[in-house]
Amino acid sequence: MNSLAEFLAHAITLEDESAHRFDELADALEVHHNGDVVELFRKMAHYSRLHLADARKRAEGMDLPHIAPWDYKWPGAESPETIEVFDAHYKMTPFHALTAALDSEKRGQAFYADVAETAKDATLRALAAEFAAEEGDHVNLLQSWLARTPPPDDHWSEDMDPPAAVD
Amino acid sequence: MSNRSVSIALTGSGGAGVMTAGQILVDAAARAGWYGLMARSLGPQIRGGESAALLRLSPYPVQSADDFYDLMVAVDWGNIERFASELPLHAASVIITDPSQGEVPPIMLAAAPHIVPVPLKDVAKEVTGGRVNMVALGLIAAAIGLPEDAVIDVLRQVLAKKGADALNASIASLRAGAVQAAAIEGVPTLAPAGQVPEGRWSITGNEAAGVGALRGGVRFVAAYPITPATEVLEWLAPNLAQVGGTLVQAEDELASITMCLGGSFGGVPSLTATSGPGLALMTEALGLGVASETPVVVINVMRGGPSTGIPTKSEQSDLNIAVYGLHGDAPHIVTAPTSIADCLFTAQWSVYLAESLQVPTIMLSDQAMGQSRAIIDKPADLAFVGKRLRAEATEGVPYQRYAVTADGVSPMAVPGTPGCEYTADGLEHSPRGTPSTQAQHHADQLDKRQRKLTDFDYGDAWAHHETFGTGETDLAVITFGSVTEPVREALVRAAEDGISCRLIALRLLSPAQPQRMAAALDGIKRLLVVEQNHMAQFHALLRAYYDLPPAVKTLHRPGPLALRPHEIVAALGDWT
Amino acid sequence: MDAKPTAPGTGSLKAQDYKSDLKPVWCPGCGDFAVLSAITKALAELQVPREDAAVVSGIGCSSRIPAYTSVYGFHSIHGRALPIATGLKAARPDLTVFCAGGDGDGFSIGGNHFIHACRRNVDLTYIVMDNEVYGMTKGQASPTTEPDWTGSKLTPQGPGVAPFQPLEIALSAGANFIARGFSGDPNFVVRLIVEAVRHPGFSLVQVLSPCVTFRPEQRAWKETTHADWAPEAASTDRREAFLRLLDDDGFTTGVLYKGHNPVFAPPHPSSANLADLEKGFAL
Repeated sequence: MNSLAEFLAHAITLEDESAHRFDELADALEVHHNGDVVELFRKMAHYSRLHLADARKRAEGMDLPHIAPWDYKWPGAESPETIEVFDAHYKMTPFHALTAALDSEKRGQAFYADVAETAKDATLRALAAEFAAEEGDHVNLLQSWLARTPPPDDHWSEDMDPPAAVD
Repeated sequence: MSNRSVSIALTGSGGAGVMTAGQILVDAAARAGWYGLMARSLGPQIRGGESAALLRLSPYPVQSADDFYDLMVAVDWGNIERFASELPLHAASVIITDPSQGEVPPIMLAAAPHIVPVPLKDVAKEVTGGRVNMVALGLIAAAIGLPEDAVIDVLRQVLAKKGADALNASIASLRAGAVQAAAIEGVPTLAPAGQVPEGRWSITGNEAAGVGALRGGVRFVAAYPITPATEVLEWLAPNLAQVGGTLVQAEDELASITMCLGGSFGGVPSLTATSGPGLALMTEALGLGVASETPVVVINVMRGGPSTGIPTKSEQSDLNIAVYGLHGDAPHIVTAPTSIADCLFTAQWSVYLAESLQVPTIMLSDQAMGQSRAIIDKPADLAFVGKRLRAEATEGVPYQRYAVTADGVSPMAVPGTPGCEYTADGLEHSPRGTPSTQAQHHADQLDKRQRKLTDFDYGDAWAHHETFGTGETDLAVITFGSVTEPVREALVRAAEDGISCRLIALRLLSPAQPQRMAAALDGIKRLLVVEQNHMAQFHALLRAYYDLPPAVKTLHRPGPLALRPHEIVAALGDWT
Repeated sequence: MDAKPTAPGTGSLKAQDYKSDLKPVWCPGCGDFAVLSAITKALAELQVPREDAAVVSGIGCSSRIPAYTSVYGFHSIHGRALPIATGLKAARPDLTVFCAGGDGDGFSIGGNHFIHACRRNVDLTYIVMDNEVYGMTKGQASPTTEPDWTGSKLTPQGPGVAPFQPLEIALSAGANFIARGFSGDPNFVVRLIVEAVRHPGFSLVQVLSPCVTFRPEQRAWKETTHADWAPEAASTDRREAFLRLLDDDGFTTGVLYKGHNPVFAPPHPSSANLADLEKGFAL
């Protein structure tokens, strides 16, 4: 990460995509009547948006570079804090949702932590460390929720009804 | 003797050039101030097959065939059995036959026509570069009283690219043929032309349909060739380009109709032309046009069916598929021109209807009109230009593509219009256009799509009415398409015999017009339904949708034999 | 491509602006969500005004996509999206036209139109969400399904038929731009779509997009896809592209080919009026 502007451009996109992904899954699960998990993902989206607002505030007055979606310096294919789509299932339980959300938060934290460690600029490192700490709070929160959540039983994905053809 | 018209059959095979001679004859007749009609009958070979140029010439407008051929000139007798039944002769008919080509086949002698041997081939040989078809042409022209100048004028034009030698040889052949005519008796002559209107046209039904399409505003065409519709598309290809439109050749009819839907969705009036087998492929996409309310026009030039049928012959057997062929409750418009000239107006009107009502419109032309050439009076310039009700964004009001309006027509947004983005759908939908399975939405949209058609005022164009004879009558004939002209001729003759009759030729076959029909049939107690198909499809349609008079008779026959005026007169005569 | 994008970074339209308010009915976990996102991000990169873009689809799960965008759309009939998109682009060359659908819609019933669309080379972008199954009708084999897949009641012994090879056929038939992506790497798919739209002629972007309901094993595509066709090193030579395909295991992602076959001609400006043309019939 070469500059504050570049970092903030990444952070903004990271939080924005995180929120959108949570909302996208929340919408999909709402359409599939999985109310338990919908609430959880909406909450997660909200937290990401708070963090997004913060990042935007820090970027006020700055000229942020436009980065094409494929040019971001993400460690993986997608922005790190996006929950893994393949972990979703229309009957997923809160346990699954929390596990996936926790995983995404950890990846977000790791991204910021890496910048905090490796960036040349001291202000940048400090900011990244702040963001990493914030993510750390989310991680702890999710871990505690997860600890309180019963794991799914063996039949969690069972649906006695056959699939429907609709078009 | 001077006739109202003279009907001529010029037959030959193996590349004799009878079509060209026939065409020159019609053009020359036009130049002399006459009217004319030329149809063709062909064998299955691409080249060199047996063929007949079938002409009718007259000082008065003619757009269909007479009862019999007055003159038949046979360059040779190759495979004549194939279409002998389409060349009805009677005792007054004259057959010119070349003795070197063998005896006149027995099948041509049934009516005991007058046979005149003329050694056409030998006559042609005497002329340097002489051609048999030109000899025949000269003979016919002289026999019927067509001035030589008119023929030479046309020859000059036709042979312009072939040079002076070709022209001179043709003129010499012509004159050699004319010499032969002097000895022939019994061929009717035509009176010299009187005052003829300025600006007459020589045009086929297929070309007229193309012109009508352009006049109506069509600027996108997708084309897949099929007999006998290909000429519509071939005329449109260069002419559309010149007025700034586009033609795409598709890989099949599934593609041609869907390309039209795409062009139309883009806001451009779109059209294709096909025949029965192609229309069958198009039915699913036409249903999509109905459900998504996307206008499109299909010109269906009917041919012998079912399945591959008889591609080169005319029939009126696609009425059922045109009216009933879409799955679901899918109201749409079906029109039919009543003559070669009317192909122009009806095509233009069809575009106008499709665009105004945002609905697929099928125009039922047929091979008899599509591939025949007629001399017609200059078509009127009418202002039926397709005008689609377009949408613009309204501040604060979300656009509803399929809004349930009083007249059923909802404004259609065209891509490029900001603020009205919507998704057209074949799925049933809400007024906004979102897919819906709800009963209320389905009922509302079905009502809307039907209401927009049934509540529309189609005006006088819906049918051609005419009363023949003096005084009141309780007798009417109802028909559609190319059968209209033979019916008209029959009714002119019947009136001369003291039988008054009303003619109703429908131009709008669907949706039904109960009030207009009731008015048209007011006072009618006897109705003759005339159509050219095997199952009396038109009769069934009339019975399904209209209250008919107490006595109804049908005269119906499938192709390839045309219904001729004397048969219709006979059917009426049986009743009176 | 005919849309005029503004300079990157100056655009006012964000990816979200290209999404409608309708919530997709796709199963959670479906790869099509990523493709929808990728299309909207691509439109944002290109800054195409919403009214100047259209998405045409056929029938199937992925064909639901037009209504989930806020550009113009046509959800049409099974297999016929390509000719509709062709007619739209030919009549309205000013629009940016996308065609979208699945492997069944595109390569089975739509197969003939696919071949001719590649040949015709109209300037549009065709995005195929390939999950090697008919999802909408509950899990039959599709033309791209492997011959030994026994998961369908219609073909319990497996289809036993060599799969349709869309990239080979596109290359043979004359498509100008051929790419493959994976829904699990959506940002790369954005790049493929942007390049596809920018490249003149018919562009095919096949996106491997798992069906988690009928082919949950496709989650493993995360491990099997490999991005070895770098867009900047795409073949511009057909022979080289064919050779690449011979080595392709069906999971290589990137841009295979960027060709320069002639693009289907756009309409010409008017050079005559109708009255002039009608004179041809006058005697």
